Amino acid sequence: MKDITFSARRQKTELWYLLGAFVVANLVNLWAITSYGAPIKEMFTSFFYVLTFTVFLYALSVIVRIVVYGIRSLIVNRKKLKTNNSL
Amino acid sequence: MSVIQIISLICDKVTQIYLNISQCGGNKSGDGGADVEVFSYLCWRNYVRRLIRQAQSHFFIRMNLITMKETKKDTEISRREFLRNLGMAGAGILAATSPWLSAFSEVAHTQKERCRLGIIGPGSRGQFLMSFIAQNPKAEIVALADVYEPSLESALKIAPKAKVYRDHRALLADKDVDAVIVATPLHTHYDIVMDAFDAGKHVYCEKTIGYTMEQCFNMYNRHLETGLLFFSGQQRLFDPRYIKAMDLVHKGLFGKVSAVEAFWNRNGDWRRDVPSPELERFINWRLYGESSRGLMSELGCHQLQVGTWALGKLPDKVMGHGGITFWKDGREVHDNVHCIYGYDTGETITYGSVISNKFYGLEEKIMGNLGTVEPENGKYFFEEVAPAPAFLQMINSWEHALFDEIPFAGTSWAPETANVNKGEFILGERPKGDGTSLLTEAFVEAVITGRQPERIAEEGYYASLLCLWGHEAIERGEIMRFPEQYSIDYAPYGTKRQTTIS
Repeated sequence: MKDITFSARRQKTELWYLLGAFVVANLVNLWAITSYGAPIKEMFTSFFYVLTFTVFLYALSVIVRIVVYGIRSLIVNRKKLKTNNSL
Repeated sequence: MSVIQIISLICDKVTQIYLNISQCGGNKSGDGGADVEVFSYLCWRNYVRRLIRQAQSHFFIRMNLITMKETKKDTEISRREFLRNLGMAGAGILAATSPWLSAFSEVAHTQKERCRLGIIGPGSRGQFLMSFIAQNPKAEIVALADVYEPSLESALKIAPKAKVYRDHRALLADKDVDAVIVATPLHTHYDIVMDAFDAGKHVYCEKTIGYTMEQCFNMYNRHLETGLLFFSGQQRLFDPRYIKAMDLVHKGLFGKVSAVEAFWNRNGDWRRDVPSPELERFINWRLYGESSRGLMSELGCHQLQVGTWALGKLPDKVMGHGGITFWKDGREVHDNVHCIYGYDTGETITYGSVISNKFYGLEEKIMGNLGTVEPENGKYFFEEVAPAPAFLQMINSWEHALFDEIPFAGTSWAPETANVNKGEFILGERPKGDGTSLLTEAFVEAVITGRQPERIAEEGYYASLLCLWGHEAIERGEIMRFPEQYSIDYAPYGTKRQTTIS
């Protein structure tokens, strides 16, 4: 079994994704506040709901990226196999 | 720390806080019928208070384990916890609502004092009271009096050094007794209490204080004439939930209180085991007319006192109905009673007790136009609940949009009970006990200082009067006006004595 290491670059990338998820969650909260006519202070009082949603979005992004990565590497491997066979 | 660890930590914290918050606040039926928890400032405040109380409780218990004996610790923690539960720095803050708390005002000066108590009628209730007194280092049970040997034998296990008398007059003649606690059957209260006052003893009499309204009136007058202490067993006066609830009610937090709905339901025959048939009426005295007023005197007394405490005045009329509907076992008192106490200004106190169904248990619902208090449950509810945060309303509407159209999705994960208002806790936690411990402690303090705390005798008197008055209305089957001849001078209820003390 190989050791899994997260390089500094990878950690930075993940933090950017997390930050992006947090921004999106806040925008969603703002949209909800506008749609339902709630007081603007809910930008702060609903903070932990936003935080939970951030974690959800981030997890979703991880899953989506894993799936995309998996599909992409499948396609790449198939192309490599075809190239090797043609050679 | 890795990203995954950070996420795990955040999730744990969020879950913990969410679970704590979900114990308070209410659900809201929002625009989209959202089944959501209300996240509010009140929830945060209660949550933080609970953390502080837990920390303080832990600290005090540790301190007491190190420095104090177990019995002393229990007494001092109960009073300290009592004050802390009420969220107050000192008894003076609640002086207007609960002035009888002044019983504890000289606690610091009476540390080395002691009083000697005699227990007249140490049966089940008497022994319950003894269990608290025995833990109080300021009180010593020096005498017991009962006509029933098994009660004496049982009571001696709690107070093995107490002198034993088979006649209450012999106990009252004992110079070593400063005060007596009367816990005998109802029909014997009058003679024993009057004898106790004549013998110069302070008195704590279990509720209901007398068998008739006239007896209660005479007992109260004798207390005034002699200047001796007079307590009655109204333990809700010392229950932190009730004190706090009344403080909030009288501050107007729930608006104008229009009605108090009280009930005490049980499912049981109310019988005690009888060793031989000739002791039936002696031991099961609560079931027979010559010794008991039934559910009104044994249970209603407590809750009617809560009603007048909340409304701040006495009712003007009463009507009632009662009957034996289930326990047809030869008893003479009703197993099903209901009374309506009405005010000329429109308010009502309703009282009901059924002992063939316990589903709703007991409660006093104090209903104002802004909210409702249920002190027994320890909760209050506002009529208008703040809407759920917009974020949660949005999540809920997404969930409905996603799942409502899918037939195989079945019932939504959001329960249909979206409109339930869970209310707020009056105190952060349920207090241990029902106020009896503190009531006995207050009596001990009063005996030591010789000072009658304000309103205790009057609240006990009027509580007894109300339940006996209701019982009479049931018996007569008619609407009865308040018996003015039994009025006493009591400013909080605006009553004035109509008859002179003879």
